[in-house]
Amino acid sequence: MTAPVEIERPEAAEVPLADVPWVTVVWNDPVNLMSYVTYVFQAYFAYPKTKAEKLMLDVHEKGKAVVSSGTREEMERDVEAMHSYGLWATLQKAGDRV
Amino acid sequence: MGHAAEGGGQSLSTAFRRARGGVVAASFHVVEVELLRSLVGQLLELVRDEPADLAAGDGWAAELGLADDAPSRPTDPVLLRLFPDGYREDAEAASDFRRFTERGLRDSKAATAATVLASLATADGAGLPAKSREKIRIELDSAESEAWLRTLTDLRLALGTRLGVTEGDEDDWLALDENDPRRHVHDVYDWLGWVQETLVRTLSSALE
Repeated sequence: MTAPVEIERPEAAEVPLADVPWVTVVWNDPVNLMSYVTYVFQAYFAYPKTKAEKLMLDVHEKGKAVVSSGTREEMERDVEAMHSYGLWATLQKAGDRV
Repeated sequence: MGHAAEGGGQSLSTAFRRARGGVVAASFHVVEVELLRSLVGQLLELVRDEPADLAAGDGWAAELGLADDAPSRPTDPVLLRLFPDGYREDAEAASDFRRFTERGLRDSKAATAATVLASLATADGAGLPAKSREKIRIELDSAESEAWLRTLTDLRLALGTRLGVTEGDEDDWLALDENDPRRHVHDVYDWLGWVQETLVRTLSSALE
């Protein structure tokens, strides 16, 4: 028997880990309303309400939360968007201590 | 994070709620409209108030962030909160990030504040009998609602940073002398939070 001529590459091979090495971190602040932070996560990231609320509570209780990951350029866009909403956000390499 | 005062403190307004025609609506006392106008006007000045050398920056080099007059890290804590560092532990990357983003963020915050001012300008109640002027109805479409959310946030960040608000400090502000000007500013800060809370709740119901 012969092997198929075309072999589909596994999906993982198309997205090497090196392509998603950055994260956006949102930090707690004493001003922003919990409802507003949840709203921003829903409106900007299109996260479902349960995920948006979980992230908001992480920010509130743990002081910070990773809210998105991707390329450095993508994370710079996310951080800029968070700043436009008035949230306190930074980006960093995924492996770095948050 | 902060939370909104129950019932809006001594609010004279009616909370935001969904109205017919896909808009959200609230009623404000004429004094509250004047207060909002004044605060948003000050915010507009603050975010527009770029250093002279930055404002004079010309053409493509400035737009690409290559000009020498790139924005430096603000020393004013309010400006630093409105335009925070994008990197925590890399000053050079933070400086680059600021060079590429701060001008655009200033422009978008100014445009947003101008949208809010415009929605207040059409609601001055001029020409109405004195009695009707006491409650002024504000109607916002979805773009205006989004502008209000962001501008209310910027106002609260500015006031909260100036006051030195910290988490769970509500009782400390209530304990201040009635004549202490900081108490009055904190009342305004609380009221803005209440207005924002009612607007967020109204808009969130459409996201679910």
